[in-house]
Amino acid sequence: MAYGLINADQIGTSVANTSLGAGNASLMKNRIINGAMVIDQRNAGASVTPTATNTYTLDRWQAQLSVSSKYSVQQNAGSVTPPAGFTNYLGVTSLAATSVGSTDYYAIRQQIEGFNIADLGWGTANAKTVTLSFQVYSSLTGTFGGYLNNASDAYAYPFTYSISVANTWTSISITIAGPTSGTWNTTSGQGIKVGFGLGVGSTYSGTAGSWSANNYLSATGATSVVGTNGATFYITGVQLEVGSSATGFEYRQYGQELALCQRYAYIPNSSGNVYTTFAVGYVYNSTLGLATITFPVTMRVTPTFASSGNFQINAGSSTLNSSALSLNQGSPYTAVIGATISGGTTGYGASLSAQNTSSALLTFSAEL
Amino acid sequence: MYKLINTTFGNQIVVRTNDNAYIPMDEANTDYQAYLKFLADGGTPLPADEGAA
Repeated sequence: MAYGLINADQIGTSVANTSLGAGNASLMKNRIINGAMVIDQRNAGASVTPTATNTYTLDRWQAQLSVSSKYSVQQNAGSVTPPAGFTNYLGVTSLAATSVGSTDYYAIRQQIEGFNIADLGWGTANAKTVTLSFQVYSSLTGTFGGYLNNASDAYAYPFTYSISVANTWTSISITIAGPTSGTWNTTSGQGIKVGFGLGVGSTYSGTAGSWSANNYLSATGATSVVGTNGATFYITGVQLEVGSSATGFEYRQYGQELALCQRYAYIPNSSGNVYTTFAVGYVYNSTLGLATITFPVTMRVTPTFASSGNFQINAGSSTLNSSALSLNQGSPYTAVIGATISGGTTGYGASLSAQNTSSALLTFSAEL
Repeated sequence: MYKLINTTFGNQIVVRTNDNAYIPMDEANTDYQAYLKFLADGGTPLPADEGAA
């Protein structure tokens, strides 16, 4: 099949005569979502100390850990000046001098949906080369590690990179030949996992620079961030693109990046209006109101639902406090929320809103 | 721990009791996958209450 040619101007570089479909086309070249760390629906810039592995922090970014509460994660932690061209970063702070045992692991990672890497041909003879680039800043210096892995954690590529000057943003670029083996999901499941080690034991550390059928989360001998109390590790501008060299970071409009994140997590809240209306519906009976919420984008799967804060059902001229919310029916497009009430009039039209609070929020999670 | 919930629409939903998250029975949902693993490992959810949530 013949491809057309384009000339594309990019931030900081220019690409000419790039073959469409062959990599490094300028639109949506970055397979990482929220690589500039702009979106933080869950914590809105507040610090979080993960207590369970795979906890989501900034949108799309997970904390991996074998022992809880050894590091915190915060958008723009420490308030250092981000690198040129960026306004946000993901900041990790070590909360103790943690000894990393052979089976311990601490890392930050993003799981890329299979649909978004299907063109790479990984696991075939036509596997495409990719380049991972990012900006990193740490209170520590030395050789750091990270990894790419498949959905089943059975085929991994550990990599290393060097930070030679502490507390200074450093640009990193790592080119990785696509794997011709391994199983790589190309639909709505986990496609590629991209992670940055913060301290990984020998069981999950391997030789940098080659693919192997192992579950590796870092490279052997890499610096442990969690090993030093108060150590910091900041990262932004994460980009994974097809090709053998890094091109300028793909800046997306805020709304576009938010929509990409909302395929995996949609978290409306009442921070802007203490009576924010979240959904509309009707009074099912005297003890239950039902309200349907339509998601702004199609979610990856039918999402898990949770809520926090105080809510009310507005029905007719009545305002009925809700003591609990539940999920009554879901799909990737909509959800029907049940609100436990008392004194409802069956059949009345109703809306579900925050109850005079700025801290009400609904969480719909369809994460990988 | 998990608990089953009967909904007003006649279907069941799983509730993860430690954070009161409602997990739909969608096999592509990673929380439901964790619930299925809980069952495969011999776990038993709390039964649904009579009536609908």
